[in-house]
Amino acid sequence: MEFVQDNILNLVIFFPLLASFVLMLLPGDAKNTVRRLALVFSLVPLLLVIFMWLNYDRFDAGMQFEYRHEWLPLLGSSFHVGVDGISLTMLLLTTILTPLAILASFGIEERVNIYMALFLLMETAMLGLFASLDLMIFFIFWEFGLIPMYFLIKIWGGKDRDYASFKFIVYTMAGSLGLLLAIQLIGLSTGTFDIIQLMDTWVNLPAGGVLPNTSLSVDTVKTLAFWAFFVAFAIKIPIWPFHTWLPDAHTQAPTAGSMILAGVLLKLGAYGFLRLVIPLFPEHAYLTAGILATLGMLSVVLGGYAAFGQWDFKRLVAYSSVNHMGFVVLGLAVFAFVYGRADQFVDPKVTNDAITAANGAVFQMFNHGLSAAGMFFLVGVIYERTHTRDLKLYGGIWSVLQVYGGILIFTSMASLGLPGLNGFVSEFLVVAGSWDIFTVQLALSMLGLFLTGAYILKAIGQTLHGPIKEEWRGLPHMTIREHLVIWPLMILMLTLGIWPQWVLVYINDTVTRILA
Amino acid sequence: MIPLSWYLFVAAALFCIGLYGVFARRNAIAILMAVELMLNAVNINLVAFWRYMTPERPVGMAWAVFVLTVAAAEAAVGLALIISVYRNRDSVVADELDLMKN
Amino acid sequence: MTEQTLTILTWLIPAGPLLAFFLIILFTNRSRTLSWLLAWAGVFTALIIGWIVALGTLAIDAHHLEEHPTVVQSAIPWLPIGDFFEGTWLEIGIAVDPFTSVMLIMVTFTIAMIFIYSVGYHNWGSPLGKTLGVPNHLQEEPLLSRFFAFMSLFAGGMLLLVVAGDLLLLFIGWEIMGFCSYSLIGFWYARDYHLGPEDIPHISPRKAGIKAFLTTRIADVVMLLGIVFFYSVFGTLNFVEAFSAESLAHAAATVGAVTLGVIALLIFAGTVGKSAQWPLHVWLPDAMEGPTPVSAVIHAAAMVSAGVYLIIRIFPLIAVGMGPQGTPAVGIIIGGIGAFTALMAATIAVAQNDVKGVLAYSTISQLGFMVAAVGAGAYVAAAFHLITHGFFKALLFLASGSVIHGMEHGAHEVHDHHTDPQDMRFMGGLRKKMPVTFWTFLIGGLALSGFPLISAGFWSKDEIFAEAWSHWTHESDFLSLTVFVMLAVAAFLTAFYTMRQISLTFLGKPRTPLAEHAHESNGFMTIPLILLAVFAVGAGWFGISEGFPVLGGALNYNYFHHIVGATVFETLHELQGLHLVDYAIETLPFAVTPIGTSIFVALGGLFLGWWIYGRKPLKEGQTDPLVQPLGSLYTFLNNKWYWDELYQLLFIRPTVYISETVVNEYVDKGIIDGTLHLIARSVYRLGFYAKRFEEKVISDGVDWLKDLFLAIAKEFRYLQTGRVQEYVLISTLIATALIAVILLLNYGWLAQLF
Repeated sequence: MEFVQDNILNLVIFFPLLASFVLMLLPGDAKNTVRRLALVFSLVPLLLVIFMWLNYDRFDAGMQFEYRHEWLPLLGSSFHVGVDGISLTMLLLTTILTPLAILASFGIEERVNIYMALFLLMETAMLGLFASLDLMIFFIFWEFGLIPMYFLIKIWGGKDRDYASFKFIVYTMAGSLGLLLAIQLIGLSTGTFDIIQLMDTWVNLPAGGVLPNTSLSVDTVKTLAFWAFFVAFAIKIPIWPFHTWLPDAHTQAPTAGSMILAGVLLKLGAYGFLRLVIPLFPEHAYLTAGILATLGMLSVVLGGYAAFGQWDFKRLVAYSSVNHMGFVVLGLAVFAFVYGRADQFVDPKVTNDAITAANGAVFQMFNHGLSAAGMFFLVGVIYERTHTRDLKLYGGIWSVLQVYGGILIFTSMASLGLPGLNGFVSEFLVVAGSWDIFTVQLALSMLGLFLTGAYILKAIGQTLHGPIKEEWRGLPHMTIREHLVIWPLMILMLTLGIWPQWVLVYINDTVTRILA
Repeated sequence: MIPLSWYLFVAAALFCIGLYGVFARRNAIAILMAVELMLNAVNINLVAFWRYMTPERPVGMAWAVFVLTVAAAEAAVGLALIISVYRNRDSVVADELDLMKN
Repeated sequence: MTEQTLTILTWLIPAGPLLAFFLIILFTNRSRTLSWLLAWAGVFTALIIGWIVALGTLAIDAHHLEEHPTVVQSAIPWLPIGDFFEGTWLEIGIAVDPFTSVMLIMVTFTIAMIFIYSVGYHNWGSPLGKTLGVPNHLQEEPLLSRFFAFMSLFAGGMLLLVVAGDLLLLFIGWEIMGFCSYSLIGFWYARDYHLGPEDIPHISPRKAGIKAFLTTRIADVVMLLGIVFFYSVFGTLNFVEAFSAESLAHAAATVGAVTLGVIALLIFAGTVGKSAQWPLHVWLPDAMEGPTPVSAVIHAAAMVSAGVYLIIRIFPLIAVGMGPQGTPAVGIIIGGIGAFTALMAATIAVAQNDVKGVLAYSTISQLGFMVAAVGAGAYVAAAFHLITHGFFKALLFLASGSVIHGMEHGAHEVHDHHTDPQDMRFMGGLRKKMPVTFWTFLIGGLALSGFPLISAGFWSKDEIFAEAWSHWTHESDFLSLTVFVMLAVAAFLTAFYTMRQISLTFLGKPRTPLAEHAHESNGFMTIPLILLAVFAVGAGWFGISEGFPVLGGALNYNYFHHIVGATVFETLHELQGLHLVDYAIETLPFAVTPIGTSIFVALGGLFLGWWIYGRKPLKEGQTDPLVQPLGSLYTFLNNKWYWDELYQLLFIRPTVYISETVVNEYVDKGIIDGTLHLIARSVYRLGFYAKRFEEKVISDGVDWLKDLFLAIAKEFRYLQTGRVQEYVLISTLIATALIAVILLLNYGWLAQLF
């Protein structure tokens, strides 16, 4: 027990890795065993994270469940992991979605053991990234997460999977290049890669001086490093205009792949902003907050327009992710604006706005993870039955699949931000926090919010409504397994919409402390 | 005793005769005989130095016996080679044995 | 009734219907009977508790209410923001004051009536319909459970909105109702129309649902901005905290009354959408595609009322916004939109042939009355008309549904499924066939027209006229005069088209076999009609102005005015003292003009309607007598002023174009992906050149070097002759040379050289 408590974060991170090895060694044709085993394995990190959640101390100001082990002392890098309210929320999201994604993948028939192993590998990467407190470790997990996704799309994906997987990996990696360079510069000049230390050391480097251990000017390096970080994470979120990899990747990925991609991987980018970009480069964050807000607004609006113009259901949902993450970006922009000048603003109202907006942004990350995963899953359900994603070919399915229709409407409404469900709470918080600071961008984003309604209703209308088409008359109902995937998500969406506090307090505590 | 240099002169003379033989003789067996001569000249040298420098130690004696043995072995191998070549080429004239040319 | 009891009860009001919704969806979905019983249970619980709370509040002495209008106030911290103790967690809660109470009375009662009605409307008890998603005429609705689930959710949402003590909970109820409206309008999701040129145009219910949702969503996103602006200025969304005189004065001092007016206008945008005011009125007529109970509840009693409820709730803000320190633009916009909508919709209603269509435009028009009243500063009048309208409009819609049912019965009997049972041109003579429906419809119609004395509509409309007139005469407020005149004309038209509707539907002889074979509806449907008729008559008596001849003097107490007015009495009085608002709540002196006008327009309109349509009722095949004289004006009105077509051109087609073509093809695939592909192609090209470089320069270079070495080696080959003796010779020569060098070195001769 001692061991578990001391090393809980390591267990959480690396258990899926070990599990994936076990799965890879299993014979390829023992499909059911592999599936069930994978499901059981994926539940272990969930239980551990729930344990962490219940034992999280809200009044502890620093990182919790910390673990540190020297790794490359000469470089200043150690294996340092720990969580605060924000990371713990993300860990919870990841560990909830992975078992559901695995459960959703029971229909895969080819190379099941490799498939499941890849999912668990990805889980390790995602969990490790959210928990990492060292830049090298962060980067390793960051890159590590790309490979399984690439293979998942490439091998089990749709028609254009080669193009989509290639675009995904090369685009993201291109962003990571700058990230790696910047990380190396930071580590080399300050002598450490530890994020906690860097928030002090790196930030407090004298502004006009020379970077230690190098002959470069601090200002130039910081600006370059900032933009390198910015671009890398902007590609991941994705912020307009770096978003075009997303529709292809999401559409071509297998259902569960899209669930994880939209549910968790996009949040890695936003998390990178919160954890690294803004705290390590406060002045730059403050100066570019307006740009970030504008880009967020463009994501909301143009993502909305793009989604509305789609006739491929999955691609529509993919663009809805751009649309929703735009709100996260807007909240991040407010956070950046205030954090960057925290010492200069005495006005508590503005700090309050930042807390509101940041709460909203992180909560939106969590909520969107749930609703996007749900939507992609539901698209997968109908695709498995009809073998098409063309909205024009759907129609009248509500008359055949009544329960599915109800579930689709419910999940869509969560995605749309209907009050009573979780999406509204986070969107409201972001809107409330952004009004004072980015009024214009917020006002323009409302167009995007309107379009959200338009495309959601388009999707529902095309799929469920209308006279029933002969070819869909005999579609099979949802199976118990499929219900088991979507109901936890729906219950979470409802409870978080009515009583969001149990997640929001953790986020709020951390955010308040950061901005205080 | 007679001075050491007399033995050395004899050995040198024998060596030169042997060397001349290696250069000038056409018959391969004769060349082998000349090589033997050279080796024996070396032997004389060895024994002379031994007898006059360190007679109490068996070094020179051992060495000379060694050389003798090697000479014998080399002669055997050389003769075997010549016979083998003769069987292939029908000749023991050194000038004509240029199989390793270029 | 202790305050604590009232508080707990108030929290429970929305609980019944919401719980019913969940239970129906999750458990009783399969059983239609259980579902409607559960729905009834939910709504009746809300009715009982709602009335207890309302009457408990209204029983309090008026003077006490004026000082402490909010009888129930309770909030819980909901959204964490900042530190719990020092921070400002967003709270969510309830508040009950006299205005809330009268709303509760009206809303719970009408919704309950509609729930009763719905069971009959959907033919419960008849053989089960087979097709899902389309109306199964005269057969039991197969999706009845779903219907009642959504209706219950809707009721829950409306009640949340009514008891909400802050803008946040109000907005939540608001949006939930929007969703239910979409779902219920599109209840018959699989229905398609196949219409001819002479038929009344219909769009499919699903399109109507989307239209409703999206049109109101435009309003809602603007309203959301208003809400967060509100929050930014006041630091709270709570009504009691924000609308105290101190709070408003402080806000006016900080950001200026004009800004407060802007906030009010942003929030008013929500009303424009939800209450179907111009320019966002277009969704409501198409919303008639939903089943009639839906039209009644959502578009008469509840949801559209929510828009007016909102602006009455934020009246202090509006008053400051258009007060002395604010800008008259606020009043002009609100009043202007209201009056224009009232007039425009009334003109359109004159030329409509669908029985529900007339009522739809009538609703839009009446809501315009209320909005105009608010714009003219007539708080009590607007609230009064909201309440009375809820009763008689619900009555009218339900009665029209009964008419349609009767026509469908007739259609079934004569096996005619092509004639539109909703088209008034095919009705006639239903007075004899459906007497209960006729009399209740008549009562509702008279109330709507403002028939003097015996109808609720009279008293509430009169109140609006009186207030507007009073503002004109006492403060020379030109806006009030304009509102007065426009509303008077609209009221005249209202009476006119109502009489037209009654005549076409009920009077004369049946014009088609459908009408011939119509018969009265079942008890589930007729009993609510009767009950609502009682309120349609009596609800107005609570608001008889003291100055009214005879009756006013006899009662000497305008109950509604004093009690509901008490909600904002203190606040407005104080603000008036601070010169922040123009009008406070005051008893209106009696004036002849408004009374005379009300009576004249009501009776005049009814008379004219009867003269044209009722005296010699239309015969079979006869066209509407207005078509010829009005000519192209009639066509213009019949086509609803062509707003839909205009919006299609200005907004819908461009949006689709931007979405499908501009953003998707040009920007995303063209520019952004184009850039990416360009980068990718240039990288490939770079690789191609690198490969060529590698082949030509590097490989070939290495090859040349190899050839050079080979050539040198060839020369050296000649040394090897293969003859042993020559080898020995060379080695001897070299050895000799070496020995010579070593000897010479040892003897130092060559040492000088090195």
